[in-house]
Amino acid sequence: MEVEVRSHPEFPGIYEVTLEDGSTRLATRNLAPGRVVYGEKLITYEGVEYRLWDPYRSKLAAAILKGLEVVPIKPGCRVLYLGAASGTTASHVSDIIGEGGHVYCVEFAPRAIRELLNNVCRFRLNMSPILADARLPSGYSTLVGKVDVIYCDIAQPEQAKILADNARLYLKRDGWIMLAIKARSIDVTKEPKELYEREIKTLKKNNFEVKEVIRLEPYEKDHVMVTAEYKG
Amino acid sequence: MIGGILVRATVLGCVIGILGFGEDNNLVDGVTFPRDAAVVAEKLEELEAGKLIEELEELIERLRGKGYTTFVFERPKIAQAVQEKLEVEVRIESITEAGEVLRGNMGKLAVELGFLEDEAELAGWIHEVSMELTRRRVRRATEKRDLVVVQTIQMIDDSEKTLNLFMNRVREWYGLHFPELNRLVEKHETYARLVSKLGRRENFTPENLMKEGIPEERASRMAEAAVRSVGAELQDVDIEKIRMLCGEILKLYRVKSTLEEYLRELMDEVAPNISALAGATLGARLIALAGGLDNLAKMPASTVQVLGAEKALFRSLKTGSRPPKHGVIFQHSLIHGSKRWLRGKIARLLAGKLAIAARTDSFSGKFIGDRLREDLERRVREIREKYPKPKPKPAVRARRRLARRRK
Repeated sequence: MEVEVRSHPEFPGIYEVTLEDGSTRLATRNLAPGRVVYGEKLITYEGVEYRLWDPYRSKLAAAILKGLEVVPIKPGCRVLYLGAASGTTASHVSDIIGEGGHVYCVEFAPRAIRELLNNVCRFRLNMSPILADARLPSGYSTLVGKVDVIYCDIAQPEQAKILADNARLYLKRDGWIMLAIKARSIDVTKEPKELYEREIKTLKKNNFEVKEVIRLEPYEKDHVMVTAEYKG
Repeated sequence: MIGGILVRATVLGCVIGILGFGEDNNLVDGVTFPRDAAVVAEKLEELEAGKLIEELEELIERLRGKGYTTFVFERPKIAQAVQEKLEVEVRIESITEAGEVLRGNMGKLAVELGFLEDEAELAGWIHEVSMELTRRRVRRATEKRDLVVVQTIQMIDDSEKTLNLFMNRVREWYGLHFPELNRLVEKHETYARLVSKLGRRENFTPENLMKEGIPEERASRMAEAAVRSVGAELQDVDIEKIRMLCGEILKLYRVKSTLEEYLRELMDEVAPNISALAGATLGARLIALAGGLDNLAKMPASTVQVLGAEKALFRSLKTGSRPPKHGVIFQHSLIHGSKRWLRGKIARLLAGKLAIAARTDSFSGKFIGDRLREDLERRVREIREKYPKPKPKPAVRARRRLARRRK
């Protein structure tokens, strides 16, 4: 079977690839041709290079495969990415938003951001690495302007609150958030469901209108992806 | 409100420069940065650290000239610096209306101030500055910081040794005058403080002692001992020298505790996972013994387990005597706080977790310390339940046979 790449039927900037063995994968168009970020496979189709997007490595890909209805990250978007780590998901966000968009990658661990800096952001002009603590959003106010989307994947007990604090400073009204909640990093002794509900309640209290809550099994255990609109 | 009582301007820093906004939250004035990312990154760092940069000073001067008297900032540190150095009235508001204007229109304002030709250039500029800024921070954060840890922990140990040495001298010296105090005050630091503050033993009255935080009962016991002391009457000049020495010793105690605090912060940055498992001090000792974080990360758990017990380890390898169960990790409360017959098992377990933590700290930088800690504690509970009693000792003969076999 021939390799074939199609645009995703619903989400601009995202592609579906059919491989030789007939399986279908997600992919994004590589903004930095020839560069691999985390060992993903590159595919060239009709002269354009695409990067396969691994749902086991990236929660955003997992959420899309699990049937997310709205992906607020679109070409041209400005995105504040909290917890970018070494840039696995952030690089795909950079692919999707393209040259017209911008993604601010906030990460607290110097080791992780070093990889991000040297392997990813250097080759992607639409990415800005920021070594800072997401719990103190005013710490990066000299760099970050208003954004369309905040994507939040930080292993912190109070992720929803941290996200709300960031939204107050940086998110446009009617902007979107995507929050990956990891039950284990909040409290291992509690039922995951209870914890999701608690975080979602915090979002609602902070003027978010929750749209979708998607479980990420089997790609990630005890994780959900929450999307919401900001009515701040 | 010019002519009124209050004319406030909001002053905000961003990648294009320092901007001032009037009461209606419109841009009134701004001092732009040079178009050099490295220079701007440095300026932004200084600004964040609470240093007054020339652009900020200039803007405040210009705004003052326009009649503004109160300045609003979003960042407390900057506000404080301006207040102290320029002596103007400042206010801090964590989210200002002007800030909202700036964050929403950074590109437009950059063009308005003549910093950029076109709004579209802003993203590229932010990319450049953020790259430079992050590069600087990363360099500072990771550049041989583990070797700084090594020096810090060794300095802490050295000061501990020095303090002991000095305090033994002081106890003996002051003991000529008031020998009974030696047994009454066990803690070196308290001893030094009392001598430094009170001087002659006549001043060891219950009131004075209680002022120094000694509980009533102990204070009266000490006062009584002072009255009945068999020590020699020393001259004031003699006592003065001892007091001076005690003052220096107290300073060294302060240095030591500052270093300990610093070490904790440093370890959170350099080796957060090891810190979470073993605490900053023990973690730092392990790094020091291994000669750096990288080296520690490359060691097998079995080596980590006996780091610091090299003498016993090599004796065991040479003569076949029993190998050590633990090196410095004995200082971990889970080991020295456990029953003797469990310590070996727990040491093995802890060393295993520490090896994982060291590798994570060295190679990935992710934080998994809380998970490791949970695992560790759960396993320790299991071990404690499984082995409530020591294993019965083999008979003396059998033990000899075992020892021979080891050879």
